[in-house]
Amino acid sequence: MANRKTAEQIKEEILSILKEGPLSIEQLRKKIESNWSTINSYLEELSKSGNVKKIISADKKKIYQRVFGDTYFDIPITDLERKKFRTLFSLIMKKYKEKDKTPTKTELAKAAVKVINSQSSGLAELPTVWYLYGMIPLMIADPSQNYSEEIQLEHTPKINSIIEIYIQESHEKKSRQLQREQHREYNDALYCLSDSFLDEVQKPNWDKEKIFDILNDFFIACPIDNDFQEVFWLTDRFISTVRKLSCFDKLENNKIKILLTFDALWKFIATYKFYKTLSAQKRFLGKENLVNLYLGNALSLRKACAQEAISDLYSVYWSKLDNRELKELPQTEKIKAIMAGWTGED
Amino acid sequence: MEKDSFLDTNIIVYYINYNKESASEPISRSYFYIINKKGKFIICHAVIRELYNVMSKFATLHKEVLKKVEDNSYNLEESKNISKRDLPFAQKIYLSYKDYDIKELKRVFAAERDIFEIGIEQFLKNTADVKVVPLEQIEHELVNVLRDTINNYADCQILASALQYQKDKETFLFVTADGEHLDPNGYEYLKDEPKLRNYQFPQLKNLYFED
Repeated sequence: MANRKTAEQIKEEILSILKEGPLSIEQLRKKIESNWSTINSYLEELSKSGNVKKIISADKKKIYQRVFGDTYFDIPITDLERKKFRTLFSLIMKKYKEKDKTPTKTELAKAAVKVINSQSSGLAELPTVWYLYGMIPLMIADPSQNYSEEIQLEHTPKINSIIEIYIQESHEKKSRQLQREQHREYNDALYCLSDSFLDEVQKPNWDKEKIFDILNDFFIACPIDNDFQEVFWLTDRFISTVRKLSCFDKLENNKIKILLTFDALWKFIATYKFYKTLSAQKRFLGKENLVNLYLGNALSLRKACAQEAISDLYSVYWSKLDNRELKELPQTEKIKAIMAGWTGED
Repeated sequence: MEKDSFLDTNIIVYYINYNKESASEPISRSYFYIINKKGKFIICHAVIRELYNVMSKFATLHKEVLKKVEDNSYNLEESKNISKRDLPFAQKIYLSYKDYDIKELKRVFAAERDIFEIGIEQFLKNTADVKVVPLEQIEHELVNVLRDTINNYADCQILASALQYQKDKETFLFVTADGEHLDPNGYEYLKDEPKLRNYQFPQLKNLYFED
């Protein structure tokens, strides 16, 4: 007669199975060969202790995800990848320690990306993503953790030398500078333009034409993605509102609002970029799952925040809008003639 | 007393885009209709939403042309971002501006969009008298009935708004320059639709067909 599994065994089994990715109670029930209500009650327990979380709940369809809390948005990675990441972080921390330094979060993350993207490191399969401040490892780099070398990496000496060179080159550079250099190194137009925009608006006196040139380039660099049309729409709304506001008020008078709006927009764009980098990777080819299970809430929330901020900025523009006649550029005459019969309707 | 005018999207866009040298008859009529304002101008929220969509389309059109100027191999015809209707406009703009310095061209296009958008917004803020029928109050059933005759969904929402607003009011004018969906015969046909029997229709003033 087969032994009955104990509660602890079932819970262990649930956690082990969920490492592979989120599953419904029904799917778990089949794999564990138990009944629905048993699995449901253990999942509730595991949920309370923070080991799993319910990510979809609709009538009888409940989908649970294992929580490790060590990757962005709890995107799953394999145990081996987790060990490799932790070993890499440990090697980086050790090299910094040799220089009597504890790396900042940015230094740790950027050094890790540098190693991962160096062909000779043998770690190219470790996932990296574009996010708020540039390219980062999918596993959260946290200098306050005690990372250890959990496995022997194949190219440890080479990795150590890449880290040493990185530390040497980035010596005394501030986080912001490291981020900017990385944006330039990987030549991502949106990130570089975001840096240029922030540089310009930090100056005490704003050079309107320069800011507009940057925004014009941002307008072109921003993708039109039919699955995420709001990325371009909101970017266009932000840029046009700033431009139009300048016709009725000094932009510097609205500095804080403009910065806050750009920040909200950027958070949305960066979350979209996060999605795009992951969805391009083989393991996440089922793009729908990526949105439905992991990034959907973050994307919706950040979109809503961006919309609200832009609407707030727009209300400032609207309050200043008067009936003054604006001078047209002579070069626009040809466009006006071409567009005369255009209504923009479908 | 002059009748009030419930304005369709195209009247406002024609008014903003009016160009003395190249304006066709319906465009000129639309322009002068606004300039020689009589009665109140009524704008519904479906038209306001359409106007903002038009702004986004204009921006997309410029973006696509700039991409083509930057990279001659970019194929406007195959772009998913421009509708078939807008493609000839994009092609004409490209041909007129393809030899411009790209940085300068970005400035020119952006300035043109500013003027266009500000023009619309000045109209909405200062020329329109009443804004009516919030989007969530548009009757879906009415829109569906109109869709049997008019295939454009946005047009149906606008006309539905006009029919709803007309209820228990003195007849106003529904002013459009739409030569495709709202010709006078079609409008009369709509009035005879049994499901619309309980609605009072505004008087159609289609500037496309007027002499």
